[in-house]
Amino acid sequence: MSMQDNDLQPEEFAQAAAEAIADAQARGFRETGQVLAAAGLCGVCAAEEAGGLALGIEFALPIVTEAGRLRLQWPLLETLLIAKALGTSPLAAELCSGERAATWALQGSLQDGFAGHARHAQQADWVLVADGRGGGALLDLSSVETETDEALDPEHPQCFLMLEGAKVLAEFGAAAFAALQRDLQILVAGWAHGAAEGALATTAGYMATRVQFGRPLSAKQAVRHHLAKMRLLQEAAGAGIRRVLRADEFGGERGTRAVLAQALDSAAFVLEKSIHLHGGMGFTWEVPLHRALREVRKFDAAFGAGALARQAGRDFIQSV
Amino acid sequence: MHTEQHPALAAAAEGPAAYRQYARQWLRSHLPEHMRADSLDYRAPTLDECRAWEASMYEAGLAGMTWPTAYGGMGLTLREHLIVNKEVGALLMPESVSSIGKELAGPIIQTVGTEEQKQQFLPRILAMHDYWCQGFSEPDAGSDLARLRTKAVPEGDTWRINGQKIWTSGAAKAHYCLLLTRTGTVADKHRGLLMFAVPMDTPGIRVVPIKSIDGKESFAEVFFDNVVVPDSARLGAPDEGWNAAIRVLSIERATNRMYRAWRFEAELRHLVAACKSDPALAKLLDDGHHQRRIGEVLGQIDALKGLVEHTVDQMTAGARIGARGSLTKLFWSECHQAFMGLALSLVSQVTPRSSPQARRARKAFANAYLYARAETIYAGTTEVQLDIIAQRIMDLPKDLA
Repeated sequence: MSMQDNDLQPEEFAQAAAEAIADAQARGFRETGQVLAAAGLCGVCAAEEAGGLALGIEFALPIVTEAGRLRLQWPLLETLLIAKALGTSPLAAELCSGERAATWALQGSLQDGFAGHARHAQQADWVLVADGRGGGALLDLSSVETETDEALDPEHPQCFLMLEGAKVLAEFGAAAFAALQRDLQILVAGWAHGAAEGALATTAGYMATRVQFGRPLSAKQAVRHHLAKMRLLQEAAGAGIRRVLRADEFGGERGTRAVLAQALDSAAFVLEKSIHLHGGMGFTWEVPLHRALREVRKFDAAFGAGALARQAGRDFIQSV
Repeated sequence: MHTEQHPALAAAAEGPAAYRQYARQWLRSHLPEHMRADSLDYRAPTLDECRAWEASMYEAGLAGMTWPTAYGGMGLTLREHLIVNKEVGALLMPESVSSIGKELAGPIIQTVGTEEQKQQFLPRILAMHDYWCQGFSEPDAGSDLARLRTKAVPEGDTWRINGQKIWTSGAAKAHYCLLLTRTGTVADKHRGLLMFAVPMDTPGIRVVPIKSIDGKESFAEVFFDNVVVPDSARLGAPDEGWNAAIRVLSIERATNRMYRAWRFEAELRHLVAACKSDPALAKLLDDGHHQRRIGEVLGQIDALKGLVEHTVDQMTAGARIGARGSLTKLFWSECHQAFMGLALSLVSQVTPRSSPQARRARKAFANAYLYARAETIYAGTTEVQLDIIAQRIMDLPKDLA
C-alpha cells in the first residue's frame, strides 16, 4: 500500500490512531502492543514484507502526536521506527505484529558499555543503542543489566543499561542510523506537541467552566492571555514540525535539531502553565497533566537539556 | 502594465524553481551595495534612492505579484508572492517606503474602491509615483477605534473633515492619506465609520513630525481643520467600506511583509558573520549560552516560516484564515524583539579596535534594537493580538453559557 495507490492523507491516520490508543491504554503492556499492532500502528513505516504499511514518516507523525495527546505509556514511536529500520528482517515482523516491543536508549553507546534514557526498558524486549562508531545496534534486553532511574517518573522510570556482554540482534550502518535519528527527532517533537495539545485542550476547557467571583476564569484577561500564549506556542511548534517534513526549496532535507528543541521547550511551557492554571488540583494527581510533563522532561533530558539548541547554534555559526 | 513577454511572467510560467531563480538573480544583481545593511559601504538611503529601488523592482515584476494586471499588477498567485518575499527577505535591503500604499491602501481600494478609484490609485502605488499614509490612530483611539473622533460631515457633493490623527507613519512624504472618520458621534462606536482617500496637499491639513526612538521623524501628528474633499474621495459607503476593510485587514495581517521570517534569518547570519570577523566577538560565539540562544532563535525562525507557508497553503486551497494572521504577527514580533536584545548584547563588546564588519554591525543592530520596540506595538499590540487569539481562535467564553 502506498500513499499514491490510495490517496491516503497523513492526518486521516490521527483519528484511527486515537481510537486504537484509547482502547489500548487500559490494558497491560503486552496487550497494549497487540492492540496497537492490530491497528497497524507499529508497522506503519515498516516494509510490507514484514507486515508493515511501508508509509513515510509523515504518516507516523499524526499517530505519535495522538499518542502524546493521550499520554500513551508504551514505546510506540521507538517500536515503529525500529521496525522500519529493520527492513525485511524477520525481526521487523515481530515488531509489526505486536509480538515484541522495542525501545531506544538515547544516550551512551555499545562502545562505552553503558547507555541511558531508555523508556519502558523493563517491559520491552529489545533496545536500540548507538554503537559508538556512528551506527547503531539492536540488543536483546534480556542480555542487558538494567538499573531504573526513578528521579523524574517513579511509575514509568527510564533505565540505565550496562551493555557488557549484550546480545546484538541487528546492526545498522552510519547512514541508516543517522536517518533513523532524524526520524526520531521529528517523532519526539510530535509526541511532545501532542502532549501539550492535550493539556491545552483540557486546561482551556477547565478555565471556561471553573467559576470564581461569578464568572468563568477564562473571563479574566490574565488567564486569557496565558491561554492565548500557549495556543501561539502550540501553533508555532506545530508549524515548525510540519515544515521539517517537507524538502527545502532546493529539494534538500531540513535540519531537525532546532525544531525539536523548540517543540520540547514549547511543550514544557504549555504543560507547566497547564498545571499552574489548574491551581491546587494541578499540583495533585487528580489531573494527569504531570504525567505528560514528566515524559517531556525525560525526552528533554535524553537529548541533553539544551544540547539540541546548542548544537543547532554551533552548526549555524560554523555554516556562516 | 506588464505584458506576457515580461521576463518575470515567463519565469513564473516555467514553474517555481525558474521563478525563484529569476527573483534571486535579479535582486542580488541589482540591489545597490550601499543599501545592504551588512555592507561596509552601507549608508542610509535617501527617500529618492528607496523610491528608485522599489520602482525598479516593480519594473522587474517583483512587486504587486497578486494584484490584477488591469491595475498594474502581475496577476500571479500567493505562491509567487511568497517566492519573491523569501528572496527579498534573504537580502538586508531597506524596508519599503511605500508599505502603507502597497499593503494597506492598495488591497482596501481593490476591495471597496470604484473602478475609477482603482484606475486612479493602484497603478501609481505600484510604480512608486504615490506614497500613502494611514490615518487611523488618534490620541484617544489607538487599538480602540470605537473611540475615533475625527468627523466627516456631508455638504452637498463634498465632505468637511475635522479632527486629529497621530502616530501617522510617513505623513510628511505621503501624497494621500487613507483616512478613517466617523459620520455620527463617538456614541455610535463602530457604526458610521467612513474611509477616504485624501490628497495630503488639500488645504487645512497640517503635518507635525514626531521624533521616534530611533531618532527619525517618520511619525507625525496630522491635523484636519475644515478639510473639504469631494465625494469621489470616499472609499465605500459609511459602514460598508470599513466593514469590508476589516475583512481585508485580517487577510493582510497574514500576508503582508511575508519576508519577515527570511529577513530574520538574514539578520542572524549578519550578526554571526560580524562576530566571526572579530577575535573578541568570535570568542563570545564559543560560549555555550550564546550557541544555545542562537539555536533557539533558529527554531523560532523555522516555526515562523512554517506559519507563513501554512497560511499560503491554506489560502491557496481556498480556506478562510480568519484571525490566524495574529499568530504570525505576534510570534514574529515577540521573537524578533527578543533576538534584537541578544544581538545588542553581542555587539555591545565592539570597540574602535574591532573589525570593520563588527563596527558596522554595532550601528546596524543598535538601531534595529531601538526600532524593534515598535514591533510589539504597531499593527495591533501584543495584548491586542493575545485578545484576538483568545476570542477568535480559542473562543474562550467571558460569561457562563
